[in-house]
Amino acid sequence: MNAIPAPVERDDVPAAPSPRVNRRRFLGFSLTVLAGVAGAAILDRLVPVYDDEVDAAAPLVPAYDAASKTWTFVVDTSRCIGCGLCVSACKEENHVPDEPQYNRTWVERHAVSEQGTVYVDAPAAGIDGFPPTSTAPGADDAAIVSAYFVPRLCMQCEVSPCTTVCPVGATYRTPEGVILVDADRCIGCGYCITACPYGARYIVPAAETTPQGVAGVADKCTWCYHRISKGRQPACVEVCPVGARRFGDLGDPADPIHEVLDADAVEVLHPEYGTRPRVLYVGPVTAEA
Amino acid sequence: MTTAEGSIARPGRTATLLGREVPLDPRVLLAAAVADVRSMPRSLKVWLAVLLLLMGIAAIAALIALPPGWEVFGTSPSVEWGLLIVGYVCFAITTSGLCLASSLGTVFGVDRFRPLEKRHAILAVLCLTSAFGIIALDLHWPVRLLFGAILSPSPSSPMWWMGVFYGGYLCLLLVEVWSMFSDHPRVHQWACTLAACMAVLAPATLGAVFGVLTARPFWHGPLSAVWMVASAFLAGVALLGIVFYGVVRLRRSGFERAGRLAIPALRLLLGLGTIVVGVLLARHMLAGLDGDEPGVRAATRSVLEGPLAPQFWALRVGFGLALPLLLILLPWTRTPAGLLVASVGALTGVLVDRWLFVAAGQIAPVTASAGVVSEGYAPYSPSPVEIAIVVGAGAFVAFGYTLAERYLDLRESDVHFGVNLAPLSDVVRWTGMAARAELASHLPRPGRPAPAADGAPPAAGHAPPASEDGSPP
Repeated sequence: MNAIPAPVERDDVPAAPSPRVNRRRFLGFSLTVLAGVAGAAILDRLVPVYDDEVDAAAPLVPAYDAASKTWTFVVDTSRCIGCGLCVSACKEENHVPDEPQYNRTWVERHAVSEQGTVYVDAPAAGIDGFPPTSTAPGADDAAIVSAYFVPRLCMQCEVSPCTTVCPVGATYRTPEGVILVDADRCIGCGYCITACPYGARYIVPAAETTPQGVAGVADKCTWCYHRISKGRQPACVEVCPVGARRFGDLGDPADPIHEVLDADAVEVLHPEYGTRPRVLYVGPVTAEA
Repeated sequence: MTTAEGSIARPGRTATLLGREVPLDPRVLLAAAVADVRSMPRSLKVWLAVLLLLMGIAAIAALIALPPGWEVFGTSPSVEWGLLIVGYVCFAITTSGLCLASSLGTVFGVDRFRPLEKRHAILAVLCLTSAFGIIALDLHWPVRLLFGAILSPSPSSPMWWMGVFYGGYLCLLLVEVWSMFSDHPRVHQWACTLAACMAVLAPATLGAVFGVLTARPFWHGPLSAVWMVASAFLAGVALLGIVFYGVVRLRRSGFERAGRLAIPALRLLLGLGTIVVGVLLARHMLAGLDGDEPGVRAATRSVLEGPLAPQFWALRVGFGLALPLLLILLPWTRTPAGLLVASVGALTGVLVDRWLFVAAGQIAPVTASAGVVSEGYAPYSPSPVEIAIVVGAGAFVAFGYTLAERYLDLRESDVHFGVNLAPLSDVVRWTGMAARAELASHLPRPGRPAPAADGAPPAAGHAPPASEDGSPP
């Protein structure tokens, strides 16, 4: 057996400095680690980004099978009387700010002149009804020959620009095709608001909160997801006195929504954007002026 | 600790920061700073005081705007992107333009652009820092962006890619600055090359952020990206024009080579950039007037004859395009002062251009936007808080650059001299760049060691800096 050679002491090689852990270094290191852990904990409290317990998309009824639903919203403009009850009910149901510029749904009046020009107005989003004459610029001097009301809301597009452009995936689509905003992920950049061709989104102002209790994030119509996932109708549909708003499941052959769609020709708003909206319109609808 | 005369008696421990020895003892550092401020000329003190005042006002405005203070902005559901987005865009594209202009010297080896290399890098870091600061204040939940962009990336979003490119760009710029002042020529060459690529990708992606939006026909289209890159180039060149006028006028380090090489080069680039941006602007306006898309004609008219028309004709076209072109083309205004005015005009033109671009895209909503359809144009005017933040960001850039000019050695270095990227060496040889570098090595230049007897160029990065006068070879 060979003996292990003893280490050779060489004078010309400087000895490596031995690592020294003194009390000061140890305390400094410990404090740094503690500060990091505490900082991460505080940050996690301040920014509960991935707190699944507050996920707004979670079905509220365990038996609700989202994938089996094909929700469809139908607006009949020939029936709408512009009473504004739907706007009021939506604000009440979904904590929408009272100011007229913040709406999940609103009602427009389209006034058509002899020359075919369409004047669009929506004073206070239509929540208080409409004055006899249009408030749109230029409508005073025009000879109006017809008018109709167009309720508006999020179109829940199949090809949705809002979900495409969101940089953090806060806007997403549920299995049955409803587009929702995760209020705990949204950064409030406003890109989805700028990208929406239907003007259906807004940033929740600081003095208000979403139903999840968050301000400064994007908000929009969810077709009252918290209601439809329990088998109920959206609030605006429920309060409409003339049945201008209809909601149902296209996947269910027995759903009354089929009667509406079979009887009338349906249109969508702004088909030129290629977003394939899932809100269908029956009755007179024109592009905005 | 200082003596009565203000000299530092006990320097203590120091650290090397960007090639300078900096005392670590706070008291020594403070004493040195006070002594230095006292030694400054009066005009410099006034200049720095004004910048500090503007930065202080901006800091107060930023505190007001911190979440949940975003109500102080003038934005609305109809005009969601306001002056802060415009400020972010301007600072971000200026950063890219600085790199695009200087890459002619740092990447492609064109000698007359080499005086730009250090100054552009300092300015680029400062501009990009300002851009990030502004966008953080505009976002309502900025911290979530850091988590969300990394943990739940969204590659379908141009904004996500923009964050990736500009984030990477900032890292590359920091490496570029570090390697520049610490004599790491190969690292510096790589950083410059990658930063130049990023300088094209980043503003193009920023243009795509607007260009992909079919809902905003004034922005929609691939030319938004091209326009953004061209604007970036012009803004960067214009800022360099202003800075190099100052370098020559105040006889800062390397001013002779700057005056002889950089200023004519910048004048050339400024002319080219102004023409390209002018053509793109004219094309956009003509296409807008002729367009069939709903809303695009209304948006164009808002610029040409609507509420944005005074800014467009006076600042964008008159001061931002016609004046710079005139000053560049006329023989008797081809002076450093002429370049200064032309650069100020061109930079103002780009800033106003981006303002008009962002505003016009939203001022004429193509659809009924949540109850405001009764108004012909969506109202928006920047709030004092927004204005203070953007002005303060500009003051930050000026302040940082003034300090850099005073404390750092911004003479052009020899870090690129004779450095070839190993994998690209063949390409470089084929394109003749190596031949030019070798030829240049035979040309005597003050401050550069004479070539060796066998003709090999001196070791890169180890040559002493060029002399103060920078006299021609």
